[in-house]
Amino acid sequence: MMILLLVLPLAGALLMLLWPRIAPLLALFSAAACSLIALQLLLQVSEQGTGYWLLAGWPSGLAIAWQADTLSCLLILLTAVLQLLVGFYAFAIRTRDKLSQGFWPLSSLLQLSLTALWLSRDLFNLYVCLELLALVAVALVSLSGRKAIKPALNYLLLSLFGSLCYLLGVVLLYGAYGRLDIAGLASEWQPNLLTNSALLLMSLGLMLKAALWPLHGWLPAAHAAAPAPVSALLSALVVKGPLFILCLLWLQLASSQQAQAMAPLFAGAGLAALLFGGWSALRTPFAKNLVAYSTVAQLGYATVALGLMLKFDQPLIFAALWLFVLAHALAKAACFLAIGEMSGTLGGKRLTTLKGASQTMPLAMFAFAVAGGSLIGLPPSGGFLAKWALLQGLWSQDQQLFWPLALVLATLLSAAYVFRVVVLAFDRADPVAPDFSPQVLPQWLALLPALAVWAMALFSEPLLLLLRLEAL
Amino acid sequence: MRPLMAELSSSLNVFLATAAALVAIGVYGFIVGPEPLRRIVALNIISAGIFKLMVVLAYRGSGNGDAEWLADPVLHALVLTGLVVAVSATAFALALLARLGQSMTAGQEDPGQ
Repeated sequence: MMILLLVLPLAGALLMLLWPRIAPLLALFSAAACSLIALQLLLQVSEQGTGYWLLAGWPSGLAIAWQADTLSCLLILLTAVLQLLVGFYAFAIRTRDKLSQGFWPLSSLLQLSLTALWLSRDLFNLYVCLELLALVAVALVSLSGRKAIKPALNYLLLSLFGSLCYLLGVVLLYGAYGRLDIAGLASEWQPNLLTNSALLLMSLGLMLKAALWPLHGWLPAAHAAAPAPVSALLSALVVKGPLFILCLLWLQLASSQQAQAMAPLFAGAGLAALLFGGWSALRTPFAKNLVAYSTVAQLGYATVALGLMLKFDQPLIFAALWLFVLAHALAKAACFLAIGEMSGTLGGKRLTTLKGASQTMPLAMFAFAVAGGSLIGLPPSGGFLAKWALLQGLWSQDQQLFWPLALVLATLLSAAYVFRVVVLAFDRADPVAPDFSPQVLPQWLALLPALAVWAMALFSEPLLLLLRLEAL
Repeated sequence: MRPLMAELSSSLNVFLATAAALVAIGVYGFIVGPEPLRRIVALNIISAGIFKLMVVLAYRGSGNGDAEWLADPVLHALVLTGLVVAVSATAFALALLARLGQSMTAGQEDPGQ
């Protein structure tokens, strides 16, 4: 069953290269089938417990270990559903925006590498998944033609450097322990100079790839240069892959002393990302850059949650970390699709072209505002749920005043950059006229994930329960 | 469990030192050099260093009883996989660089752009 999740996108991508004419159909079909299978896998895992596989029947320690727990299944489902949604959007705009044929096989490969990454529990296998993910992501960025080549090359070089740092850490660990599966390594783990340096090297590489502050410099240029469906996939899913591995390393491998020592660094980096990312989003004159900087800022929440989780070891904070990731993925997909739709129709990349958009393109603007509400954390959205879980986890520790205040400041900053767009859009005195009559279907498709992130509040209890169990 | 790093024979230290030097040279080149081609070469030097480290580590043997003298096959498999990844990534980076060069010359010939 699970193997279909990988075979379908891979076989689909190869067939798409052979028959480019039916590529969109194949991509949509494989994404739809994978969504159903992922849903079934999630139900099965939540009933029967975590699945654990040693590939090809090799003994433990030699085989590549794969594990499907509820968190992995949830992320697989998210990947497949977003893939389907973005696929529909890309299908709806393919002739208008002259979307390259290469999008279809590449997006299928993106889904394949992410699915493998969520399942893998083997350090070298994770390296291969990361590398595949980065190559596919860069190829997707370069689809939008000449202007995207420079940011794409920059992205590729930094990402390769990050992978090599990670690989060096993996080799050091293999040299010391002679095994690569995370469960086995964790049982033999000793805190010493070698594991310290391996953990730091791997974290450096992963932070560079996940665009965590202060290594985020490549992200705004690369995400803003890509076509709208690609930016949505990159911001919603790709940066979460390295973050997932970072969590595996620090929560499952590192000893409690190592985790305690690293906690303030992660929390500080996350806070800096929230403040500087939010500030840059307030200052940038381009619409897509604003959304990209907001990704940097929102990743800050996840980093803060990781740091606090390492410090306090509270299951609720762990749940908050992944709620942030889920809510951000849905909200950011909606934001990028809505902004892409508006700048495509109104004909301009600057923020000022959105003037009066609430009149000319009400649906897309509504999608952006609704998704922005979740980015700010207005109740009862997914973003609010995550923030509430984080605060609740903090309150159960005594003497915590600094972090709630910092979160309030970050919330104000994100409200400021979201309202920067909304205020412009409601300036109806002299609206920018659309270049052609706005299409309705893509706007609805942009609205869907925004509504889904608000619907997360309805499922808050099972979600919190599932994610809290995973933390143990 | 396989032997720890400390048990590596001391005659291999020369190789370990070269591997470390390669990584250091590569990192220096990557951070200093602003030109993309220089950075691509620097990345290849780093990966050469890491692969060398893997091959030297494999020389300790797989440590499973009487097959002590065999080189560790897992690390060899990892090096092969790593080489494939490194070659394809380098090819992709060079292709992007060539595309960048083309678009820059095209931009110069066509001042209207």
